[in-house]
Amino acid sequence: MTYDTSRRGFLSAGLALPLVGLTSKVGLFQSGNPPTNTNSPVQLDYRTLGKTGLKVTTLGFGCMITSDPSVITRAADLGINYFDTARVYQHGNNEKMVGAALKGKRKQIVLSTKTPSGDKETALKDLDTSLQELGTDYVDIWYLHGKDSPDQVNDDLIEAQQIAKKQGKIRFAGVSTHKGQKELLPWLAQKGVFDVVLVAYNFTMDSGMEQAVEAAAKGNLGVVGMKVMAGGFRSLKQGDPNFEKLHREGALLSALKWTLKNPNVSTTIPSMTDMDQLEENLKAMAQPFGNVDGKLLATKLEMISPLYCRLCGECEGTCANGLPIQDTLRFLTYAEGYGQFALGREHFQELPVAQKTVRCEDCDACTVNCRHGVQVFARMSRAQELFA
Amino acid sequence: MRIRLVLPLLLVFVTAASAQEYLNCHLVPGWQQSGTKREYTADNLYEYMDGNAESYLLYGFVRMQGITCTYGEKKLVIDVSEMEDSDLAYGMFASNRDPNQPIAKIAMGGQVQPRRASFAKGKYYVEIAASPEGDHTAALQAFATKIEASLEGRSTPPEALDWFPKENQTSVRLVPESVLGLRQLKRGYVAKYAQGQAFIVLEASPESAAETFKKVQARFPDASPAKFADEAFQAKTQYLDSICIFRKGRYVAGYANLPDPQEAVTRATKLATRIP
Repeated sequence: MTYDTSRRGFLSAGLALPLVGLTSKVGLFQSGNPPTNTNSPVQLDYRTLGKTGLKVTTLGFGCMITSDPSVITRAADLGINYFDTARVYQHGNNEKMVGAALKGKRKQIVLSTKTPSGDKETALKDLDTSLQELGTDYVDIWYLHGKDSPDQVNDDLIEAQQIAKKQGKIRFAGVSTHKGQKELLPWLAQKGVFDVVLVAYNFTMDSGMEQAVEAAAKGNLGVVGMKVMAGGFRSLKQGDPNFEKLHREGALLSALKWTLKNPNVSTTIPSMTDMDQLEENLKAMAQPFGNVDGKLLATKLEMISPLYCRLCGECEGTCANGLPIQDTLRFLTYAEGYGQFALGREHFQELPVAQKTVRCEDCDACTVNCRHGVQVFARMSRAQELFA
Repeated sequence: MRIRLVLPLLLVFVTAASAQEYLNCHLVPGWQQSGTKREYTADNLYEYMDGNAESYLLYGFVRMQGITCTYGEKKLVIDVSEMEDSDLAYGMFASNRDPNQPIAKIAMGGQVQPRRASFAKGKYYVEIAASPEGDHTAALQAFATKIEASLEGRSTPPEALDWFPKENQTSVRLVPESVLGLRQLKRGYVAKYAQGQAFIVLEASPESAAETFKKVQARFPDASPAKFADEAFQAKTQYLDSICIFRKGRYVAGYANLPDPQEAVTRATKLATRIP
């Protein structure tokens, strides 16, 4: 499914504000040692963010869903020094909140924001609005938001970043990406005009993603990891047995530590909404990924794998009867994962008769083999039992 | 078991029926549908809006249906999100509205700008985006009016909003989790003022409210009791400045981020009298 570019337009529409004036900018210990006089209860862990030379704490802060600025302020006081927001988060309200939370701390932190725009003019307009909302005259990293393929990173947008750099409104140029990363990251590394990439990277991903991250790092790009907790956690509802297991103490921290064990990842930006979560995540800098974490995540994967289709699409066309495996398992997830039985059945019934009348149990052997471990035969049979 | 399966099925059929009414480009003469209807649930909303999906999930996102309407070169992208309840739908609207623009009287609350309209009605959060660049207010207003009329559900803002004093109030919104950055305060309304902020958290019962109050108080070991409502305390804190938090029945509420401790108590006491 392709991303509707007009949606990006929607997210940024209606918030244009007048240009802001620009003055000087101050570097954040671009070279030398990071500060040591923080209030952190743990030893802070720093890595260099690629060619930027910035020393960032391995635990950063994704501000997108933070409810109260006090959590962000406290994180900065504890020594976390990388904070990420975006023009589109809460239609600009998030940038305003982040700016207020970090007031007076600008020189001690690395601040990034993003533009969803697809052309130079609106992107630069977005940047001016971001600067105004954040209450600063520059951002350290300005990302082109949510690019999934090289063709979305067009010359117009690259020029916008170059202009912004020359104007001193940004220090470094970045690209954020959620999909198509295996193709996009090596391309960005070779392009030579970017400094940082913000990538979805977590324990559910395969070694191909690890290679893509390595390619980015070899290209001297700073790599910032997001979705480190594997985004599906939040979509599980309370009451779901998997929700309870995934949220029990230690599970999310292990996921965070898994991402940090890759030295090619400079920092991470988990979303944090409260003080408890902040305190818990701080431990990721002090406690390296260990056997216990590995076992815990293996358990999680084992628990998720037989049930949850990751929608990778690799099984399509492998069913001898031509069944749409990915779609059918998604319908089952509607019913069992989210309690939307009717929605799942509605979709199932929209399948062609030749597909919805097939019964997997009539086959001698299943030709579909999910490399992520989803028990396709059992799950398809379950869907047919429920919906047919 | 069968009843458990049939009931939700009926509910979705009803929902699907109303969807046919509000997702219709012909609601406004001259507009034509472009492409097919969009439909997303919590597990694939990322495909549509990447990381921004998380903010929808935070507000109890259930499903989204949408269509794109065109009139010559003009295009409207209409998305109707169903949230778990009307409070969350209003919360979604309030957190995404343009704070520099007033709230219009569209259902529970809405905004119509040159290129964007949004409003909440019942458990639905509606967004309409217009392109290309220009003033699309008339079309946006027309669609917003028609869609609003087609949707069922609450048309008045949550009553708790009226309990916050209006003087010097700059914004009010629903925080879906961790009010004041405290996990113990799970979900509540927060009103910002020129100075300080007030909050109201609704618990299921006075007993659960008392339990929550106790947990919150434990976060502030230096707190001292205050004498109003069912129970109350005040404290001077590093990140929330002066706070005063109280419990009244099944509500846990209070003030934070005020420089003067006595001012926090005075304002919280006044807020307590406004909560029924």
